[in-house]
Amino acid sequence: MPANKKYLTPSPWQRFAKISAAIFGGFIVAIMFHMALASWFDHVAVIITSTFSAFVLWAVLMVVAFMGKNGWKVWGIYLLASIVLGVACYFGNQTNPII
Amino acid sequence: MGNRIYNILFHTHTVSGIVISVALYVIFFTGSFSFFRDEIANWQRGHTVSQEDALPSDIDGHLNDLSEAYNLYGRDVELRHYYNDRSISVNLGASKDSLASEDDRAPVFFYLDPVAKTKTETYADNYHLGEFLYRLHFLDQIPYPYGRYLAGLVAFFFLFAIITGILVHWNKIVSNFYTFRPWAKLKTMWTDAHTALGVIGFPFQFVYAVTGAFFLLKGILILPVVMGLYDGDQNKLYEDLEYNHPVYEFQNEKLANTINLDQYVDEMKADWGDFRVTETHIFNYGDKNMHAAISGYLGYKTKLNGLGYRIYKVADGSIAQEKVPTTNNSYLDGVKNMMFRLHFGDYAGYGLRVISFILGLVSCFVILSGIMIWLVARDKKNIPEKRRKFNRQVANWYMAICLSLLPVTALEFIIVKFAPEVNMGFLYQTYFPIWLVATVFFILKKDIAFTNKWTLISGGTLGLLVPIANGIATGNWLWTAYQNGHQQILLVDLLWLLLGIVSLWIAFFKLTTKRSGLVPSKS
Repeated sequence: MPANKKYLTPSPWQRFAKISAAIFGGFIVAIMFHMALASWFDHVAVIITSTFSAFVLWAVLMVVAFMGKNGWKVWGIYLLASIVLGVACYFGNQTNPII
Repeated sequence: MGNRIYNILFHTHTVSGIVISVALYVIFFTGSFSFFRDEIANWQRGHTVSQEDALPSDIDGHLNDLSEAYNLYGRDVELRHYYNDRSISVNLGASKDSLASEDDRAPVFFYLDPVAKTKTETYADNYHLGEFLYRLHFLDQIPYPYGRYLAGLVAFFFLFAIITGILVHWNKIVSNFYTFRPWAKLKTMWTDAHTALGVIGFPFQFVYAVTGAFFLLKGILILPVVMGLYDGDQNKLYEDLEYNHPVYEFQNEKLANTINLDQYVDEMKADWGDFRVTETHIFNYGDKNMHAAISGYLGYKTKLNGLGYRIYKVADGSIAQEKVPTTNNSYLDGVKNMMFRLHFGDYAGYGLRVISFILGLVSCFVILSGIMIWLVARDKKNIPEKRRKFNRQVANWYMAICLSLLPVTALEFIIVKFAPEVNMGFLYQTYFPIWLVATVFFILKKDIAFTNKWTLISGGTLGLLVPIANGIATGNWLWTAYQNGHQQILLVDLLWLLLGIVSLWIAFFKLTTKRSGLVPSKS
């Protein structure tokens, strides 16, 4: 049987929010997470690890995004996480610049 | 897991799965054959390659031939072995000598057949059926970069689909593992097959989804890293990841001694044991600052991640730089190498590749059964007739496109055996039109059971004809190939023999259930 409709998201705006948060938001968080790590730790090891772990993390964040009740809230959480990770990355880069 | 989460995951699994299904089927089907890309090349050309995974010995002989045909002075000369067919790719860089003639300042590239001593100038002429199927498996026939990115996104959404799939099935993994009810309701047959084979294939599919996504989507990873961490200096990133060759200045002074690569190779083999040379790169040929970089790896039986190289300064034979494969391999080398080894399955002989081939085809079946579940689950009385008709049409198209690949591929194997010349254009002009005609034919029949049965029968028959066609065209019958030790030719013949038998066996002995029982009613 197909999934029971009563549990699915009916509003098109909510759907849009969830799908975009899953694909784009998930990607931004996954990338920022690895960049923040790379800026503080052995960057070569982190970057080469990200060749597989970034994709796995991105896919997991995609799944999580769909579980949320409110798609915009998911976007908010992902953006907030990206900003925090971005700040960590910025200071990491200042402390141990690669270039 | 609550009902809400369960249904959401179920729905995302369905939607992502049905959207990528056709492309994913093409990728898995042709990808399964791509495990034998090089064998297919040798089979098609009637060649056999004795020394695998390495450049042939006597590199100096080839260099000599090259120096007679070209003025090598001041060029970078690279010989590379990549695939296990006979050809070596030869790359001559532009001469750095400021007095060099116009001809010498043009870079040269060709494929050298070291046995027949012939060269093939262009990629399109060196093309073969193995290459065609290999390229089709990342949709590379669609112009770059669209085809590859599309295939990459399919790989990534496939990762999403198998994660949601395994989560949906999580609570029933153990209890349902032994459930197989082929004679119960139609839908349960598809569901049981889909879940049982999906769970068995999960680790395999997970590895292929992740590595495949990396190969094709690495561009979107590199961009933010280069911008955010490297201030836009992409070269520095490649240097950090050890993708760059070192640079040696051209000094514009002729060198008195000649180069003896074979001696270097022997030296390295003596030092490192089971070392296989895949690439020799000579910097500044004939110049005082000539260097020879020889790279390769240890046989997989000795060490899985044994990559190494040595750079000799030719003037005095000293070692300028080296990475010792027995001891010096880093985590970086390991990851870079394993991404490829895991995807190609080429580190454990034919056994692993045959198992991977079977698991690849099993994944094809999981995809098809997924489409059938999608269709059957929506073919209910409470769903408007218009909608049901549309769904049936979609499944009909999907099945026609996917299933006709089997007979079309088998037919192409026969065609290449009788064609006077097989190159890129020829393969494009035969494979795609035949596939289109077969697809349109099955679409117009509007009967999935018919499509299923007749693609199996025609694919099976044509598959059995492949070894026969090879025998007639080249005299390389199965038994002669076996006696002469032509492993690669024998392998492809056997593969089709088995595939043919299995297809016909399914068509005649396993599809005996009443046809009406296999697909939803026609009306």
